[in-house]
Amino acid sequence: MSIVDDLQQLRADAATAIAGAEDLAQLDVVRVAYLGKKGSLTSVLRGLGALSAEERPAVGKVSNEVRQALEAAIDLRRADLSSAALDARVLAEAVDVTLPGRRRAPGTSHLITRTVDEIVEIFTGLGYKVAEGPDVELDYYNFTALNTPADHPARTPSDTFYVRDLTGEATAVAGESDVLLRTQTSPVQVRTMESTKPPIYILSPGKVYRRDIADPSHLPQFTQIEGLVIDEGITFGDLKGTLEHVCREIFGPERKVRLRPHFFPFTEPSAEVDVSCGMCGGGGCRMCKGSGWLEILGCGMVDPNVFGYVGIDPERYSGFAFGMGAERIAALKYDIPDLRHFIESDMRFLRQF
Amino acid sequence: MLVSMKWLRELVAVDLPVPELVDLLDMTGTKVEAVEVTGNALEGVVVGHILTKDRHPDAETLWVTTVDVGAAEPLQIVCGAQNFDAGDKVPVAVVGTTLPNGMTIKKAKLRGVASEGMNCSATELGVGGDASGLLILPADAPVGEPFSLYWDLADTVLELEITPNRPDCLSVAGVAREVGAVTGKPASWPGSTPDESGAPVAGSVTVRIDDPDLCPRYTARLIRGVKIGPSPEWLARKVASCGARSISNIVDITNYVMFELGQPLHAFDLATIAPGGGRADITVRTAKPGERLTTLDGAVRQLAEDTLLITDPTGPIALAGVMGGDATEVTDSTVDILLESACFDPASISRTSRRLGLFSEASQRFERGVDPNGCAAACDRAAQLIAQLGGGTVAPGIVDTYPEIVPPRKLALRMVRVNGILGADLDVGTVAGILTRLGLTVTTGSGDGDDGAVLSVTVPTFRPDLEREIDLIEEVVRVHGMENVPSTLPGGRGRIGGLIPQQRRRARAGAALRAAGLNEAITWSFSDPADVERIGWTFGPGELPVELLNPMSEEQALMRFTTLPGLVRAVANNQRKGVVDVHLYEIGSVWWTAEGRKLPKEREVLSGALAGSWDRPGWLDTEPMLDFFDGKGVLTSLMEAMGIERWRVHAADRAWLQAGRSAEVLVGGDVVGWLGEVHPKVLDAYEATGPVTVFELFAAPIIKAAREAQPFADIPRHPSVKVDMAIVVGEDIVAERVERAITSAGGTLLESVRLFDVYRGKGVEAGKKSLAFSLTYRGEDRTLTDEEVASAHDKVVRKVTAAVGGELRG
Ligand SMILES: [Zn+2]
Repeated sequence: MSIVDDLQQLRADAATAIAGAEDLAQLDVVRVAYLGKKGSLTSVLRGLGALSAEERPAVGKVSNEVRQALEAAIDLRRADLSSAALDARVLAEAVDVTLPGRRRAPGTSHLITRTVDEIVEIFTGLGYKVAEGPDVELDYYNFTALNTPADHPARTPSDTFYVRDLTGEATAVAGESDVLLRTQTSPVQVRTMESTKPPIYILSPGKVYRRDIADPSHLPQFTQIEGLVIDEGITFGDLKGTLEHVCREIFGPERKVRLRPHFFPFTEPSAEVDVSCGMCGGGGCRMCKGSGWLEILGCGMVDPNVFGYVGIDPERYSGFAFGMGAERIAALKYDIPDLRHFIESDMRFLRQF
Repeated sequence: MLVSMKWLRELVAVDLPVPELVDLLDMTGTKVEAVEVTGNALEGVVVGHILTKDRHPDAETLWVTTVDVGAAEPLQIVCGAQNFDAGDKVPVAVVGTTLPNGMTIKKAKLRGVASEGMNCSATELGVGGDASGLLILPADAPVGEPFSLYWDLADTVLELEITPNRPDCLSVAGVAREVGAVTGKPASWPGSTPDESGAPVAGSVTVRIDDPDLCPRYTARLIRGVKIGPSPEWLARKVASCGARSISNIVDITNYVMFELGQPLHAFDLATIAPGGGRADITVRTAKPGERLTTLDGAVRQLAEDTLLITDPTGPIALAGVMGGDATEVTDSTVDILLESACFDPASISRTSRRLGLFSEASQRFERGVDPNGCAAACDRAAQLIAQLGGGTVAPGIVDTYPEIVPPRKLALRMVRVNGILGADLDVGTVAGILTRLGLTVTTGSGDGDDGAVLSVTVPTFRPDLEREIDLIEEVVRVHGMENVPSTLPGGRGRIGGLIPQQRRRARAGAALRAAGLNEAITWSFSDPADVERIGWTFGPGELPVELLNPMSEEQALMRFTTLPGLVRAVANNQRKGVVDVHLYEIGSVWWTAEGRKLPKEREVLSGALAGSWDRPGWLDTEPMLDFFDGKGVLTSLMEAMGIERWRVHAADRAWLQAGRSAEVLVGGDVVGWLGEVHPKVLDAYEATGPVTVFELFAAPIIKAAREAQPFADIPRHPSVKVDMAIVVGEDIVAERVERAITSAGGTLLESVRLFDVYRGKGVEAGKKSLAFSLTYRGEDRTLTDEEVASAHDKVVRKVTAAVGGELRG
């Protein structure tokens, strides 16, 4: 047999072997067996040196053809096998996409913080700054400077928490001490009026305390958001327009807002603000106790007596003040039946908002 | 304050339907808390007109009538009564009505004749005693009108919230005046002039006031020969509509006049003050030391020295304005009555009623303030009613001790101020009209035009709340209607809103804690005094906890000095409810004080608590229990978000933390708080299950150290080379120390160091540990050669082993 015949035989054998390779590893074994450094084709070619110069070109041509043919066949087979392997892998890696996702849940803001933040954002948009102050306050800032009469029931120890005064001073106020837990954040307003010249546009959110037993609608510790504006030419219409805007921002543009005259010692004229009930749309239901309205804040024009305490000229400046309870607003907005949820730190409550 | 609509309508012609009146009162500052329909409504009983009356074909005693009840067709009703004729008006119960005796009217056949209702007797309706026949109504009774309305049975009672500045509305007449002002209808003020006879009062009664500040006025009348008995129905009904019980004609009259006019009255049995027909000498004074009085509820009251009393020469006979004395009370055998109508100082009455825990309709009115100029008229009215209903005679004259007459107040009201404060454009006529309707007297004073005008306003003494111009402006807007003021926004120039940097940074800290997986909690600001011992807290030198004088409970008697107990309680509460994965943070204040301080120190802290896992083991893999390093990881995220690089922790014990798993947190070299796992004993004390990892940092130093913006760091352009080294050191050498030695030895070529393994056990001698670090070398301006890296790393190894006394692990 000639070398050429050997080559043709080898080509045929190799083609069979390539076709028979069942995976990429077997194919590689075939490749090495024929085309590798010690492979069959290689050893045939190594024998070329023994051929005559006349025979060499023809045999060389054939052997190149065989090599190319084998390489092409191997590539083709490899492509087929790779594709099959990929298909198999894809099949094997299929998952049940309905299984839960993997994550580290981010934490949540307390609903009260979130409510305060939303309201702060509305007011900063209207040009207000946020003012803060201590929870433990002086009677003067919490009551006296706010025009609260000395015998006002709110000043009694049954309504207000008093704190032991360690100066040893005797005091003549309703509690045994003139140090107390603020019952409103208005002391912040008084402090601001003392230290800042008008114009003043501030919002003062913060914790306040009143001696109510914790029940579904009361907490002895809750969160008040109060505002104060003092400038030249501030009117009751400005107060009304501001609160109408704010209430619609909080509760939605479709809600109606009304101001109802009321009485507070530190504002005159004073009003309570009602928002139309979101549950019944104003027709009357359980939530609004049949009235169609929800009372959400108190407000009024700053009483000239309060200006007197802080040395602002009431003939030149006028202003308004308002206050609302964050717990009540959150409870109304999210229909929370019991305010005690806010203080209980139950993860199942906290994670909802 | 309860107000019967029926009574109100006697005093002011309200033609509004009740719901509209309620709205109007709400919107003018007299909030209606509730509306209650009272009385026997007798729904379904109407006024009928008997058109025909014919004998029943099969029954001699029955009549077949046709009755017009205002419906389209007359009803045929079979009736057994004999006392009527065709043409009479009678009450008719239509089909479906249930009568007070329980009988329900149905369509029926009576001896074969259809009957569609019932003509009623007074007894059947429960309105009288005559059962013998039909109740024949006057000929002008309107056909079809509900009988309860026609017979005046039904009433609507409004429950009003009267604000503390409006004592004038604590009476039906006062409310009528207010209703008149807001509806524009005239209201009347009831009054009577007594028919006097017999000996003048002057010889029988004297009154002296010791301190006119406490009792500006005291009036009294004497009614002789009274017969105590039950009240007539109208009087009983009226006092009942105000929520009082009918007791006797005399008591009911004093209550009636109080409810009607707002002036509390008191009736004494004259014989108990002036026995044997002598003279009653009344002195109004404060209590003397040791004085006592048995009040008419039978209680013996020890009287504090500033208690205002009504006394006779033998001692106290009543607590002024609060409660009468037992001994001088009107009884069934009382014959002569001394009637008191006085004005007392609101603060004095308030103190007495609070001190004794006695709150009455009278004390409530005195506390708010009664009109001193109304005492005599109320006294007259009650005296006349007593004479009229109790059969007595009013002695001529009134005792009136009124040392200093209180004049009406005069105020100036500038129109420019009215419109300036309100942001409205009201004219003089509107403003003057409102004030006049409220009972004030207005004269146009100086100034011209609607803006220049200054009104002179005289305020009667029944409105003590109207003291200043601003008070009048409030009245104007209240009655004008707040809804009629145009809404505007403040137009002030030159204001800038927004948060200040500290507030923004605090918000950033909260956001970082949430991103780290923590949920915000708000716990009590209060603390249990026992918490000090439970957690082993030690206050700094001279520091004391902040004590509440009147806590809600002993467990909340202090202001919290740390958030730790609150957070551990929150963890325990969750665990008790089966929620074991708890990740909480709180941003809130803690307090402490010192001897000699008035206001305590108040500092804000950032704190947190972790228990359980990040997520319960799911279908994928199991989550490890959270421990110290999860807490430290949270703080790492926090510090990174705040842009604080110079922070570290070092081992430090805290009594409430488990030793060896507790640390102090330092920022810029200063201790700002602590971090660690709660001590098992503390967990036991709060019934929490560990491990619970907690931290508490002062907010101020963190907010102060925070950076607003990090400068840009160039992205490396040249490749890095990573080399690992494991070094065996003694257990006492902390990782931070080795890491610092590496960093300092690495020079500029060492970009970063990361600890990736801590190993103890086989191959490492006992008492030692192997720390494996991955070191990254990189040239800022060139690709490092192998030789450069090798030489730098050799230097690191040499210096670090020498510095920490360790050796490379083979
Ligand atoms: Zn509703």
